[in-house]
Amino acid sequence: MSDRTPRPRRLWARAGTRTRRRVAGFLALGVALLAIGGLYAAFQPKPQTAEAQDTALVREGQSLYDNACITCHGSNLQGVVGRGPSLIGVGQASVYFQVSTGRMPLKAQGAQADRKKVEYDPQQIDALGAYIQANGGGPVVPAEPDAALVGSDLGRGGELFRLNCAQCHNFTGRGGALSSGKFAPVLDAANPHQIYAAMQVGPGNMPTFADSQLSPEEKRDIIGYIKSVSGDTGPVNPGGNGLGGFGPVPEGLVAFFVGLAALIGISLWIGSRQ
Amino acid sequence: MSAPPESQYSDQAGTQPDRNELPIPSDAELAEMSTDDLVRLGNRIDDIEVVSDRPRFPVPGTRAEKRAERQVAGWFILAAVMGLAFIVIFIAWPWEYVSPGQEGALLYVLYTPLIGVTLGLSVLGVGMGVIAYSKKLLPEDLTIQQRHDGRSSELDRRTAAARLVQTGQQSGLARRKLIFRSLGAAGGILTAGIAVAAFGGLVKNPWKEGDESPLLVTDWKSTNGERVYLRKFDGNPEEVVLIRAGDLEPGSMETVFPFKESDRDDPEHLAEVVRSADSPVMLIRLRPNVTIIKRAGQEDFNYGSLFAYSKICSHMGCPTSLYEDQTNRILCPCHQSQFQANEYARPIFGPAARPLAQLPIAVDDQGYLYARSDFIEPVGPGFWERRSS
Repeated sequence: MSDRTPRPRRLWARAGTRTRRRVAGFLALGVALLAIGGLYAAFQPKPQTAEAQDTALVREGQSLYDNACITCHGSNLQGVVGRGPSLIGVGQASVYFQVSTGRMPLKAQGAQADRKKVEYDPQQIDALGAYIQANGGGPVVPAEPDAALVGSDLGRGGELFRLNCAQCHNFTGRGGALSSGKFAPVLDAANPHQIYAAMQVGPGNMPTFADSQLSPEEKRDIIGYIKSVSGDTGPVNPGGNGLGGFGPVPEGLVAFFVGLAALIGISLWIGSRQ
Repeated sequence: MSAPPESQYSDQAGTQPDRNELPIPSDAELAEMSTDDLVRLGNRIDDIEVVSDRPRFPVPGTRAEKRAERQVAGWFILAAVMGLAFIVIFIAWPWEYVSPGQEGALLYVLYTPLIGVTLGLSVLGVGMGVIAYSKKLLPEDLTIQQRHDGRSSELDRRTAAARLVQTGQQSGLARRKLIFRSLGAAGGILTAGIAVAAFGGLVKNPWKEGDESPLLVTDWKSTNGERVYLRKFDGNPEEVVLIRAGDLEPGSMETVFPFKESDRDDPEHLAEVVRSADSPVMLIRLRPNVTIIKRAGQEDFNYGSLFAYSKICSHMGCPTSLYEDQTNRILCPCHQSQFQANEYARPIFGPAARPLAQLPIAVDDQGYLYARSDFIEPVGPGFWERRSS
């Protein structure tokens, strides 16, 4: 290569070679650094514990905690024997699920905490979540609008729901009985964030479904399926009464008795007319 | 031809009228008879009496008749319109699935009811039209037909029986024993052959394969020494997802199925195994503070806090997968049996008498869980030949 290069050109270029090289080097380095910085800024994942770093929010959460939750969960979130479990490491998702569904603060010790009127406003729930998250970390509910958590692959969502959830919650989310007075609740009232949080933390006796078990996309599809069979105000029943959502057995029974009785009645009416 | 006196056969009720007493016309007379005459003759032969035969509208073309006509036609027009609506809706209505709450969901939901209602009204319209026609426009008649004894006359019965008896005697079967018996053998064996064809497929020996019989082994058994991995099902049966020990958080459960590397290119088998009746296994990771009691002889079946139990209830074979992760109970939804997951899944409540079968699991050098062998006892409900308790 070198003997092919024309000499005069190299001579002409030699004068400023060293300076040029240096300047070019710095420029290249600068451009590269800028590019990497820009790329990092553009693609950097939003820190999911951003709220926990908001000290004002954490402080507000702590004051709420010290007024209500401390009785059962202890002054250092370590829990109180016979009253409430430790909250270290349960994460913001657990707080969001328990408080936004009204299950916490607990009304009375019993077989199971039930959904009831919510005691705190969303801002307070965020503050409590930030406080718990700041002390031990744990799963966090995605900070996305409700619609973003409702997946569109209902077929896959339904398949996964029937494999992982339907044994307790019934295949259309009607809930069901468990041991010793516990039960799996009806899923109508739960919003997408609450369902997502429940899968992340497994509240009560529900098993946990970590992202390694059900990926975030699979969780979204499951929520999509649940929302397609049970609306906010009740089950989705295009045909009227869902008969408890138990499937073909009660439906067949009703068709047999009600439908057959109606047919017999009509036949008698037709026959009796003169 | 004059009508016969109405009382001609009244004293013979219960028997067929004697045809010889009826005035049977000759062929020439028949050719000259009008339709009305023929109907009257037929009625007399069949013992039918027309009490009254009054047209609904003696004067044709009245307003009332026109109205009745329009009413009947109305039903038929309704049937035609509804039939047309059915065809249009069946073809053009949006029928593809739309989730509730999304745009067009109401239209989709209406598809099936609409085709049902339109087709139903169309059929109903035809039926109502026919009924309305006969009620409003056909003559208002009242006819009586006498019922007679169904039995043939003594003469017919005797002669027919005599014919049969004579045929039997002439055939000589009673005398020719060889033919009689060989015919019986042929008939009997033919019947047996038909029975074999119909029911032979139902007769099976469930123990033909000895210790490998279907009730004794599951898909977790490796036939050629190949390793059987734990596979989870993510909704796509042809996609193989293996499980690592770290995939499960404490207090979680995953339903797993067997997978052999040699089945990877066999989509049919991959789909079959996630639907197979005896292969589902509950892989459970217990919480760290749980007291664990292991069954004698199964001390090394778990991997750390991971335990694998058959999902098939030992009572009646239902899928018992209602896992409570605080009480560590596994519930069966069919008859409320409960099993203690941290105590070798022994039954603690309900009709089940035996623990759930436990699958011995281990981890390979890449971290994937596999089954060290098949279950050491049959899964599911008991049967007579079951040896283990």
